[in-house]
Amino acid sequence: MRWLALIWKSLLRSRRRTLLIVGSLVLSVFTVAVLQSLLTTLDSITSNPNSGNRLAVRHKSGITQMLPRSYETFLRQQPEVETVCSLQWFGGYYQDPRNFFANFASDETTIFQTFREEFGLANLTEAQVKEYLRDGAGCIVGESLALKNGWKVGDVVPLTGTIFPINPRLTIRLIFKSSRPSDENVLHFHYKVLEEGVPRMKGLTGAFWVRVHRPEDIPRLIERVDRHFANSAYETLTETESAFNLAFVKMLGNISAIIQGITIAVVLAILIVTANTMGTAIRERGAEIAVFRAMGFSASRVLSLLLAEGVLLVGLGAALGLLLAQAAAGGVRSAMGAVMPFFADFEITSATALLCLAGALAVGLLSTFIPAYAATRRPITEGLRSVG
Amino acid sequence: MNANRFDLGGGEPIITLRGIAKSYWREALEIPVLQGIDLEIPIGSYVALMGPSGSGKTTLLNLVAGIDRPTGGTLEVCGHELNDLDDDELAAWRNAHVGFIFQNYNLVPVLTAFENVELPLLLTSLGRRARRERVAEALALVNLTDKQWNYPRQLSGGQEQRVAIARAIVTDPDILVADEPTGALDAKNAEEVLGLMGRLNADMGKTIVMVTHDPKAAHHARHQIHLEKGVLDRAVEVNR
Repeated sequence: MRWLALIWKSLLRSRRRTLLIVGSLVLSVFTVAVLQSLLTTLDSITSNPNSGNRLAVRHKSGITQMLPRSYETFLRQQPEVETVCSLQWFGGYYQDPRNFFANFASDETTIFQTFREEFGLANLTEAQVKEYLRDGAGCIVGESLALKNGWKVGDVVPLTGTIFPINPRLTIRLIFKSSRPSDENVLHFHYKVLEEGVPRMKGLTGAFWVRVHRPEDIPRLIERVDRHFANSAYETLTETESAFNLAFVKMLGNISAIIQGITIAVVLAILIVTANTMGTAIRERGAEIAVFRAMGFSASRVLSLLLAEGVLLVGLGAALGLLLAQAAAGGVRSAMGAVMPFFADFEITSATALLCLAGALAVGLLSTFIPAYAATRRPITEGLRSVG
Repeated sequence: MNANRFDLGGGEPIITLRGIAKSYWREALEIPVLQGIDLEIPIGSYVALMGPSGSGKTTLLNLVAGIDRPTGGTLEVCGHELNDLDDDELAAWRNAHVGFIFQNYNLVPVLTAFENVELPLLLTSLGRRARRERVAEALALVNLTDKQWNYPRQLSGGQEQRVAIARAIVTDPDILVADEPTGALDAKNAEEVLGLMGRLNADMGKTIVMVTHDPKAAHHARHQIHLEKGVLDRAVEVNR
């Protein structure tokens, strides 16, 4: 027999109790891991490392209001600006309304330069880009989206519009691969398809995406653009891409505070449950602990064994909870990744897993230490009297 | 000779108690349990501590076994002055020198007979193979080799107590302390356990100190020491 075997067998003393506490730990760790990962995913929307030098220019009244595409001329004239791209959310679906994904009408001439990291421009050939530019009814799609729908270059994708009354038939001219899966769940087509199909959109756009040379120029540029268009028929609201994305996240309310609140509640609940269980389990073994000590086990060694039991118990629950969360994350990615692109990045990161494990181990140590310490400090003779 | 000092047949003492006193406190009230105990128990003795409830016999046994500390006097067992040892040293000393036999056996229910016997050896420097050999020897000695993989719940009371005896002797201690070892057994099993303890004393030279209420059990010892209200009352050599 080895120490680990002794600890393991002690854990299985009351199988039902062990099963129930492990079950509650599995659910708790699963909940915390999924919630924290959701928070990480939402954070990543606003902390895209590629968005540091991009601005979104939209109508001051809201994203449903349009801006004249002629504003592009002024934007391009600013010395800080590298490229400007008109972008309009199209909101179409493919075959089935449930088969929804992000799709945009965008300025084909500047889209690659503006979002060069997302498109993995360095890996695209000039011929591929030219092929897309050449075909006015062409489109580009991310690899994840193409794989999901079984698309390949040359396939025709009929989109059914939900916002605009057109159903464009688009030919895939380029499939790009990005460093983030969420950036691949998207389709872009030529802006003129929207302008020609929807007369009221002629010369209008939902937003301009502006790429600047240097991020430090952004505050000055924001101020200048909004001042220039102030008091016009189409006043602008210019903000960083991160701020723009954050506005979407904020639509969900203060989700960060809600998630953190739930996490704290779950951790406290499991701490109380585990402490109660471990306390009961240790108290029931008062005589056994006294016998161990009579046989020569020092108080610190018995304490270590009891702590190891607590840690093993929560470690087991945490590991199973994380496995369950990993499985759930895969489900979330495939079920929601296409609907809400940022969910394509949903994963239980190693940082989240470590956080959950560390938290679980802390719960194990905290919940076990006090009853274990008290039990090992109890006089042996007193412990022996509790026999029978 | 001191009134409380008894001759248990001479020989080199393995247990020496001088002026031992033990009191418990209930708030401000001191409750003396043992007073002025002087006693020498020679190596290889088989002593039964007897007396009415509250006479202090279990307290005396606990002091000798190093699981309790006196409030007065000195206590030398197996060449060690126990008062000088800190708690960890005392634990190591117990592992090396004392084997315990309890009334209720106190086996660990989730461990097999073999694993129960192996427990005290986990604290030694013995390797796995050496431990297995020692456990096998101890179980053979108590005639339970065929039950080694049984759990306590699969053993009779007598078998459980024999496993407990195997656990007590597996480290080859100098002293065996037994607190009412037959208290939970029927007559037949009690006789078997007492016979086994007698052989451990006679054949292996183990010094045994046993607390018992049972005159039949005490008759297996070579000396009976009677306590009365915390003092040694008389010592009787058992004639067989």
